[in-house]
Amino acid sequence: MTYLLLFIPFAILILINLFPREKRTEPAFWLGLAVLVFQAGAVVASQFGYWGTILTSQLESVFGFNLQLYKMGHVLVMASALAGATALLVARATLKNKRDRFNFVGLLLVSLIGINGIAMVTDIFTLYIFIEVTALATFILIMLNREQAAFEGAFKYLIMSVVATVLMLAAVSLFILIGGGTSFLDVKMAVISDPLAYTALLLFLCGLFIKGGMVPFHGWLPDAYSSAPTAVSVWLAGIVTKASGIYALIRLMVIFGGLEPLQNIMLTVGAASIVIGALAALGQKELKRLLAYSSISQMGYIVIALGSGTVLGIFAALFHFFNHTLFKATLFANVAAVEEQTGTQEMEKLGGLAQKMPITGLTSAIASLSTAGLPPLSGFWSKLLIIIALWISGHYFFAAVAVLASVVTLAYFLLLQRQAFFGLVPAALKEVREAGPILLIPAVFLSLLIVVIGLVFPFMIQMVLR
Amino acid sequence: MMNKEALLLAAIFAPIFGALILPLLGRVSQGLRNNTALALVALSCLCSLSFIPSVMGGKNIIFSFALPLSLSLTFYADTLAVFMAVVSSFIGAIIVLYSFDYISHYDNQNEYYLMVVLFLGAMMGLVYSANLIYLFLFWEITAIACWRLIGFYRGQRDVLKADKAFLVTVFGALVMLIGFVAIFQQTGTFNLIIMRGQVLPDIIVALILFGILSKSATLPFQTWLPDAGVAPSPVTALLHAAVLVKIGVYVFARLFLMTFMISSSWHATVMMIAGASALVAAGAALVETDIKRLVAYSTISQIGFIFLGLAAGNMVGAVGGLLYILMHGLAKGGLFLCAGIIEQNAKTKDITRMGGLIRTMPVTAMAFLFCAFSVMGIPPLGGFFSKFMVISGGIKSGEIWLTLVFIVGAFMTILYLFRAFTLIFLGESKGYPSREGSKMMVACVALLAILSLAGGLLANYPIGFLKTAGYQMVGLLK
Repeated sequence: MTYLLLFIPFAILILINLFPREKRTEPAFWLGLAVLVFQAGAVVASQFGYWGTILTSQLESVFGFNLQLYKMGHVLVMASALAGATALLVARATLKNKRDRFNFVGLLLVSLIGINGIAMVTDIFTLYIFIEVTALATFILIMLNREQAAFEGAFKYLIMSVVATVLMLAAVSLFILIGGGTSFLDVKMAVISDPLAYTALLLFLCGLFIKGGMVPFHGWLPDAYSSAPTAVSVWLAGIVTKASGIYALIRLMVIFGGLEPLQNIMLTVGAASIVIGALAALGQKELKRLLAYSSISQMGYIVIALGSGTVLGIFAALFHFFNHTLFKATLFANVAAVEEQTGTQEMEKLGGLAQKMPITGLTSAIASLSTAGLPPLSGFWSKLLIIIALWISGHYFFAAVAVLASVVTLAYFLLLQRQAFFGLVPAALKEVREAGPILLIPAVFLSLLIVVIGLVFPFMIQMVLR
Repeated sequence: MMNKEALLLAAIFAPIFGALILPLLGRVSQGLRNNTALALVALSCLCSLSFIPSVMGGKNIIFSFALPLSLSLTFYADTLAVFMAVVSSFIGAIIVLYSFDYISHYDNQNEYYLMVVLFLGAMMGLVYSANLIYLFLFWEITAIACWRLIGFYRGQRDVLKADKAFLVTVFGALVMLIGFVAIFQQTGTFNLIIMRGQVLPDIIVALILFGILSKSATLPFQTWLPDAGVAPSPVTALLHAAVLVKIGVYVFARLFLMTFMISSSWHATVMMIAGASALVAAGAALVETDIKRLVAYSTISQIGFIFLGLAAGNMVGAVGGLLYILMHGLAKGGLFLCAGIIEQNAKTKDITRMGGLIRTMPVTAMAFLFCAFSVMGIPPLGGFFSKFMVISGGIKSGEIWLTLVFIVGAFMTILYLFRAFTLIFLGESKGYPSREGSKMMVACVALLAILSLAGGLLANYPIGFLKTAGYQMVGLLK
């Protein structure tokens, strides 16, 4: 049953290519949307016991090709459905070229296969394969509009990714050499007994840090996010980077979370990403670059939570992972609306847009405040849990860093709000009107989720913690 | 009893959820929206008032909904909470009434009423919360509302000041949150009722105090408050005189008097900070020429007096400090609203360019004078009793020299308020055309002035009520 998550996107991918060339853009969009709705539906249904048991694969291969959909995979599948639907709608509104729109759907489906795979893996080699599948589609997605800057951004990402690939592949081969298997359990046994396997694990983690754009490997991320078309940025920031880098980290830390050196690495990398990402965001002049640095900082929160080495920390990390999809997809959808209506995303040229575009303004304020961890929005609860997890596990310094960096987060979002939305309307923008419904629907839907989850979270937690 | 719990929830959630429909009502009719806003705040006030007989009789009202991770939704109405709720919602209602005319010719009125009512609702939630997490949650909602309200005029400078106020208070709140989490680590709960009587380590007290001082605009975090004077006058009255700055004071009373035992060295420390704050702000008010900044500095200075009373560690001081919240709210709210009338009708905020306004706006002048008398502490106005009580509380605590600082501060209060009154209302007119404010606005300030006087003449009632709160304070049992 879980394989449907891989087969359906694949089947649809083939199906949309069977349509005649002139008429295929529309059906591709709707079929793509249907796949994402199916994803979300599958997760919701599984919450009600429809998918009750954990399925183990019958397929056997050299590396023990085992797939399972764990509960935590649901978060990833759900988040990818939400981010994907937002990206599709944004693409429909902003990508002018029909061929680009069609290619976007196809590539989105390819990377979706990769992401769904990552949600199910139980061995480190398969994890690597699916990460590469996702990355491959992503390179092309960034270059979708065939602009100079986009080639540069994609090239940077490609080079960094290749380094990550080398590291991860080397790690996998070391695991096979030492333990004879690549399933998470085999790797765990190997790591406990053999220092070489430990080194291999560190190499693999380095690869994941590169993929997730963590400090000090974050150089590629702002370029890739800001040079790609906004629809692609939604997809990248909303789920791709997080799935291939951060989710894989969470998955590994579920297994290796008890090892203290790993915890220290997570804490240090997380804290560095939080602080450097937030400070860099303060100095940005373009909306998309600001959001990209903000992503680095928010990923830091997830990673630092993993360093607490507690179940609460893992839960908080997953929750923040999901929240990040909500608010970052909202914000990029807002950027798409602003860019579409004003023709620019440079903050100096904007101002007072909340008066001209009230819905965009309101949703961006909600998403910004949620990112900064202000109650009663969903981001508050995940940050609170992260802080509690860190504090209870005795990492007082890192808890303080996480808390105080929230002020910097708030500062750069206030900067964004002040320059773009809150304030007076400059003369050049007097004629600006609200964006069309296609761009507003995802923003409204996601910010509604942010508010609702924020309000009902205390009531929900019983269900989640079971 | 069930009935009372429902009223408690209504007091909190009627304004919070009611606020969200105000923008929709505003699209239908402005009058409907304005009256609904007033009705929501008044409803909240009435609910809180209805608790008075019950809590006076020692029967506190608890609403609790059990949730895991110590996130139980608990609201608790005791004397302190009811007092604070009644004061804030009552003054809030007067300010909303005043806003009808003041705000009627600006853009973004829907957002204005949404934020004002949301702010007051969050204030209700904050005072009734018996769980630190929800206390923090409502605390931050007030900060969000405050941010939008200070930046109401949307100018570059307005928004900058709004951001500043937001950042300073959120920074303080986050430091306080670390303190809360540390409390959780120590006690295993966020529930204030359960942790009653615990001894709190110094480091946690310091963290929480950080948040309290930043919200109450006390030294060294005071600068955001005068800057926030760019907001419309009813907002400054609401935020900076009557309600917002009292949040810090209230949380101080709730945590350090009602709930935890703290080491006595903190009392002297807080009194010292408060004394410095009172003196520095009074000095700034003496030379300030912008009427709203002047009144804002005066607020900072008066907050110092409240802290003096609460930190004195004895009954007279604590009751005086709480009484001060009421009296100062009435009088300072009145002063800010007078400043609003003056600013709108004289078209300037600079007091050196005013003069002789008593001829054109006599009612405002008298209201200003009475409110100023109350803030100065001239008998028989309300401010006299509260000031007298906090100062005798200070002396009783043995800190004679520190209390002397406050007496100097009180003297400076008289100086700067008389200076302001003279420059604004007396002397020759400087040629600025001016006229009296609208009937509704003038009625509001007159009402506040009369209440300041009545508060003094009938001071017995609030003092008697606050004494019941005083008997419940663990911080006084030493």
